[in-house]
Amino acid sequence: MADDKDVLRDVWFGRIPTCFTLNPDEVTEREAEPYYLLLPRVSYLPLVTDKNFPDVDLLHCPSNSVVEAHFMSSIKEADALKHKSQVVNDMQKKDHKQLWMGLQNDKFDQFWAMNRKLMEYPTEEGGFRYIPFRIYQTTSDRPFIQKLFRPVSTEGNPHTLFDLLKEMCPDALTKDGEEKRFQVVIHGIEPLLETPLQWLSEHLSHPDNFLHICIIPTPTD
Amino acid sequence: TWGGFYVVGAYKMSDSAESPTETQKEEIHPPPDDSATNDDKKKIDVLLKAVGDTPIMKTKKWAVDKGRTVQSLAQFISRFLKLDATEQLFIYVNQSFAPSPDQEVGVLFDCFGSDGKLVLHYCKSQAWG
Repeated sequence: MADDKDVLRDVWFGRIPTCFTLNPDEVTEREAEPYYLLLPRVSYLPLVTDKNFPDVDLLHCPSNSVVEAHFMSSIKEADALKHKSQVVNDMQKKDHKQLWMGLQNDKFDQFWAMNRKLMEYPTEEGGFRYIPFRIYQTTSDRPFIQKLFRPVSTEGNPHTLFDLLKEMCPDALTKDGEEKRFQVVIHGIEPLLETPLQWLSEHLSHPDNFLHICIIPTPTD
Repeated sequence: TWGGFYVVGAYKMSDSAESPTETQKEEIHPPPDDSATNDDKKKIDVLLKAVGDTPIMKTKKWAVDKGRTVQSLAQFISRFLKLDATEQLFIYVNQSFAPSPDQEVGVLFDCFGSDGKLVLHYCKSQAWG
């Protein structure tokens, strides 16, 4: 469907206006100005910030190849869940490279020429074997929730985002009559909870093929 | 608008990490009853398998804390096998992918465990890319 393909582009070209400011504890000779960047939502920080960038101590990525290795391991883990690794293992090394190069160079068509294979499934199955997802909660100690969850119920009904949350973090859902305490955010938007999980996995996953879902307290401003 | 970064986990080298406890080879350690309150205290069973000419662990079955990272487990194996500090160790799940070093073994167990254990292959060189 034409509309669904547009979603893929919207996700790919999403940007976050970002402002980096120097830590006040850092002493410099002259006043450091804030540094502004429009960051691609789907990219990795080390790929986007240049070498002259003031040191961001979020992670240690000595080279692009470390980021690439991380990206590929996520792709493979996702496919292990979706297809028992059959699709990714059938791809050649150059196909894997194309996924990475497409992401690194912001080339939507190059990336999706390969990624579409990872989004296919046998028609009779109705979806992937399991959905690759990670749920991040600001109010939790755990880095994220990741467990096995099927896109279709045993009765053959498509599972929705609501079904996933009910199973994995029911506290995030608003009970009847209650005020909404949490937002369920993917790529900066709140998808309808009745959205089929299989559709979300195919269209709103990050390039690493995982659905990264954030549960954040509703802003009180 | 809420914005978020995709943050890659840091490569933390932690020498003070507690070693996993060795289980009996024959029986599998049942989890203690009071562990239900804190998920992180629970241990999962890991079976370690050597690939290629990598030395074989004398003890293959281990009870590992759920919150333990792949990196931490790799370091433990390296120390146990007395590998050179410069030698790399690659860990694989399902003989198909190398999990991110900051991934928790508990998550891998939940997603890729079978018959009550997580089978991990380890290798001094890249085995499955």
